[in-house]
Amino acid sequence: MQISIINGSPKLGKSTSDLILEYLTPLISDNNAIEIYNISKTEMNEQRLAYIENSGVIIFAFPLYIDSIPSHLLEFLIQLEKRQFSDKNTMVYCIVNNGFYEGRQNYIAIEQMKIWCASNHLKWGQGVGVGAGEMLPFLKDIPLGHGPNKNLGNALKRLSLNILSAQSGETLFISPNWPRFLWKIESSQFVWYPRAKTNGLKRSRLYDQVNNAVSNK
Amino acid sequence: MIYPQIDDGDVVISENSAIRNCIGCFGCWIKTPGKCVLKDGYDNMGHIFSQADNVIIISRCCYGGYSPFVKNVLDRSISFLLPFFQTKNNETHHKKRYKNTFKFIVHFYGENITSQETDIAHSLIKANAVNLHANDSKVFFYHSFDEIAKGVQL
Repeated sequence: MQISIINGSPKLGKSTSDLILEYLTPLISDNNAIEIYNISKTEMNEQRLAYIENSGVIIFAFPLYIDSIPSHLLEFLIQLEKRQFSDKNTMVYCIVNNGFYEGRQNYIAIEQMKIWCASNHLKWGQGVGVGAGEMLPFLKDIPLGHGPNKNLGNALKRLSLNILSAQSGETLFISPNWPRFLWKIESSQFVWYPRAKTNGLKRSRLYDQVNNAVSNK
Repeated sequence: MIYPQIDDGDVVISENSAIRNCIGCFGCWIKTPGKCVLKDGYDNMGHIFSQADNVIIISRCCYGGYSPFVKNVLDRSISFLLPFFQTKNNETHHKKRYKNTFKFIVHFYGENITSQETDIAHSLIKANAVNLHANDSKVFFYHSFDEIAKGVQL
């Protein structure tokens, strides 16, 4: 089976979507021809677009931006729709991760992907909404399906089985197998404060406000 | 003419120049707090929101959400918020950077907006309003841009 994976993360470095796809790809490799395209880093030429259109399965992995699909991915989806898919049996799956704790907050983006799928007359497979995306890189040494990665592992396993059998499944929303109050404290202590320090900023500077007058653009 | 009169304090953001997409660097939170690091003229969205009593969006409806340009402007606006979290209605959301709140009003247009799209657009605007700490939100739908030109509701 020909599978196209679209990585919709706009990050220049390694992203949470990259990591999730590193987890998923071995689960669906089973004699399948898989191509992964990061639309921010790869020129989407005719050959690549044709590969996507001729795939039996298309998987989108992307971060949640302002409760919905990031703008550059939205543009790409519109571009794909204009080309028109000839094979209407293509199955569409997606994995959306967000910076909040609750995977459920990805539901709007997943519903948007369902609308895109229907607009293209393709078959909807399944959506997975992953919470606490910024935490995942800190857990990369913990095996998938264990400890805080337990829920992610279970969800990706269910998704991969549906992909391999070209089946549809209910939308899955997962948060880490880790208390929310700890995650909330750790996001400041292990993510935002150290990153600010790397940039030479004291913690108090993170609360800076811009105070000059606005003008008409 | 959508707005017969644009007052001095009104800021109109339209696609007058090329906009770069957010690159997920979080520079607006941890490098130049409150300001986007991409200097293309759309780097002060958070500050503009901080001065607003009303944020009014007019957008083509795409898959139940905004057009790519409007979405890009919103994607570039997270400097309005802090990176830190608070819990509201048992969900985590980012804390406010500024004291102000605004009314969030969205006008979607499109010839063939489906009921599925209007449903998800309602959910989107509600979620945006929660995350942007808006004090009120409204969403309207039109069959065409010309229909909006008769005058938007506030």
